[in-house]
Amino acid sequence: MVTDTAEGAGTGRGSRADGPAAETEDARGSIADTAAQRAAKRRLAAFLTYGGLVVAAVAASFPFVWMLFTSFMTRGETLRYVVVPASVEWRNYVRAWSEANFALYFSNSLLIAAVQVGGTLLFSLMAAYPLARMQFRGRETIFLIILATLMVPETATMVPNFLTVAWLHSHSPIPWLNSWPALTVPFMASAFSIFLLRQFMRGLPGELWDAARLDGAGHVRFLFQIALPLCRAPLLTVGMFTFIGSWNALGWPLLVTSTQTWRPISVALLRFVEEAGAETQLQMAGAVIATLPVLLLYALIQKEFTAGISVSGMKG
Amino acid sequence: MNTSLKDRVTAWAFMAPALLVLGVFGLFPIGYAFFVSLHHWRVKRGPFVGFEHYHRALGDPLYIALFVLSLGLFCAVRYWVKGKSLWLRVTRIGLEVATLFAAGAGLLGVIGSGDSRLFDAFKVTAFYAVCAIPAEVAISMILAYLLFKALSGKGFFRVLFFLPYVTPMIATAVAFRIIFSPHPSSLANQIGGVFGLGSQGWLFESRSVVSLVLQAFDITQYPAWIDAAFPSMALVSVVLYNIWVYVGYDTVILLAGFSAIPPHYYEAAAIDGATAAQSFRHITLPLISPALFFISLIAVIGTFKAFNHIYIMRTPGARDSVDVVSVAIFDQIYLFHNLAYAAALSLILFAVILGLTFVQNRVLGRKVFYGD
Repeated sequence: MVTDTAEGAGTGRGSRADGPAAETEDARGSIADTAAQRAAKRRLAAFLTYGGLVVAAVAASFPFVWMLFTSFMTRGETLRYVVVPASVEWRNYVRAWSEANFALYFSNSLLIAAVQVGGTLLFSLMAAYPLARMQFRGRETIFLIILATLMVPETATMVPNFLTVAWLHSHSPIPWLNSWPALTVPFMASAFSIFLLRQFMRGLPGELWDAARLDGAGHVRFLFQIALPLCRAPLLTVGMFTFIGSWNALGWPLLVTSTQTWRPISVALLRFVEEAGAETQLQMAGAVIATLPVLLLYALIQKEFTAGISVSGMKG
Repeated sequence: MNTSLKDRVTAWAFMAPALLVLGVFGLFPIGYAFFVSLHHWRVKRGPFVGFEHYHRALGDPLYIALFVLSLGLFCAVRYWVKGKSLWLRVTRIGLEVATLFAAGAGLLGVIGSGDSRLFDAFKVTAFYAVCAIPAEVAISMILAYLLFKALSGKGFFRVLFFLPYVTPMIATAVAFRIIFSPHPSSLANQIGGVFGLGSQGWLFESRSVVSLVLQAFDITQYPAWIDAAFPSMALVSVVLYNIWVYVGYDTVILLAGFSAIPPHYYEAAAIDGATAAQSFRHITLPLISPALFFISLIAVIGTFKAFNHIYIMRTPGARDSVDVVSVAIFDQIYLFHNLAYAAALSLILFAVILGLTFVQNRVLGRKVFYGD
């Protein structure tokens, strides 16, 4: 922009000496010039923009490509300067799956995630509804208390929660330790999920409730038959976050599972890496297997998820 | 809406399950952790020992008192000593310097007499935050701006950038553990080789990056504090992984911030003859500041909570040089079964996070522009 004006001023000064006829011609020429220059500049800007984006995209995705390639290598290839394997070793996956007993841990993690996502969605939706759409005393206080739990780091709750779960283990009819309740129940309500769903439900038009009440629906029917389908996008976001959180959990499952029966894939992968030591290709096959469910889910609901993230960020 | 009894009962019934879970596993634990920390507690509850664990962690109570009191005085000076006369201003600056100095002395005393492992862990956490967050925010700012300017392919790039954030960290951390292995054929060493970097120990290297640079210049005699005062090579590798994971998330948040700026602001600025730099400084920056503040807040809390990937990426070679506070606390539980000490440490960590969030809110939050 600065150069444009400077050049325009320059041609103007030159043309004044040549007379009015030349001035118009020159001016026309300078317009053509700047147009060409602008186009060049735009091309340069586009080149820089996409150049930067492509570099970043390669940096973001290359480790995945490397992971995939390595998982198909022979043991010899992993030790040499090889990037692309000569042939695809599917056997690595078979070996990782059977040797590390991945079938069990994989289904454990899927079950744990399913229970946790289901519980979180139900409890958060039910809690968010009155906070967003009903009037009662103490509503704001309760909401603030719920938000305050966001500040508490997981390490601070680990010891007391372990003791609580151990107490529940010996005082309730079902076992908690080494079983699904210890792995899922403590995480079934999250302040973040309640917050996100509440923000969304506050935006639903009030006429919906009026109409539903005229038709004789109570709060329960309104929530599950009318509000629920409208909350698709935030529910998917919350569900995805809960799924990732559950799939990633490592410290807590290490504490509450000492047997294999309910051990999740995160713990199994850590043990596998510690034990399989030098067998890089098997470790990578295991890692690829562990990423698949999450990537699959992400591919399915990618649009709603990124939109949900943006909203959560904007509202602080 | 009326507040009939039936409605009130419905509201509380709806919230009951979530409140029960949050209460039992989210709020109650803070009080319970304090209770545990006052006892001798390994597997079962032992005798009451009072503040012994805090004493072991933080050292001499006199220094703690000095630190807390001087910080309190500093805040008091800042908020109560006001006025424009020269005298008042000089007194104010003098008092501020004196109280800060006293607080520093108290902190040094605490560090000198407390649990050195804990303070090493805090140091590592601070290194981690200081190295990772500025780089993370700067890169994502550039990427978000480029994405914002890009005419097509936005969705495609956004999905790609977001991939490292959604992929389970347990899997990618395992992959990066091998990428950053000291073997000459490891990916990090191959890429480093392209830029003329010699074979490095990466995650297995406990020496600091600065001493490695000195070594590259054939300086083998350097004081020991060089290794203590800078992050280790292993920690830098973890930081690189951290940047790789979180840049995409920050970019998506910032992009939403950029897209929310009304285009006619820029048009008006262009008519008034503003340069690109000026409109960035006076339009983009103030309007993006809430999103920037949000991601920096999340990033600071995130580094203090960081556990999974560090637990996976720690190696024997790195010694304690990547062990952040949450990892050190987990060791107290899982390795040493010292539940009481772990509870005390976790409450100290909680206090530090609260303090940092407060400071960040006051210092950075004031610069945030929320519109009018």
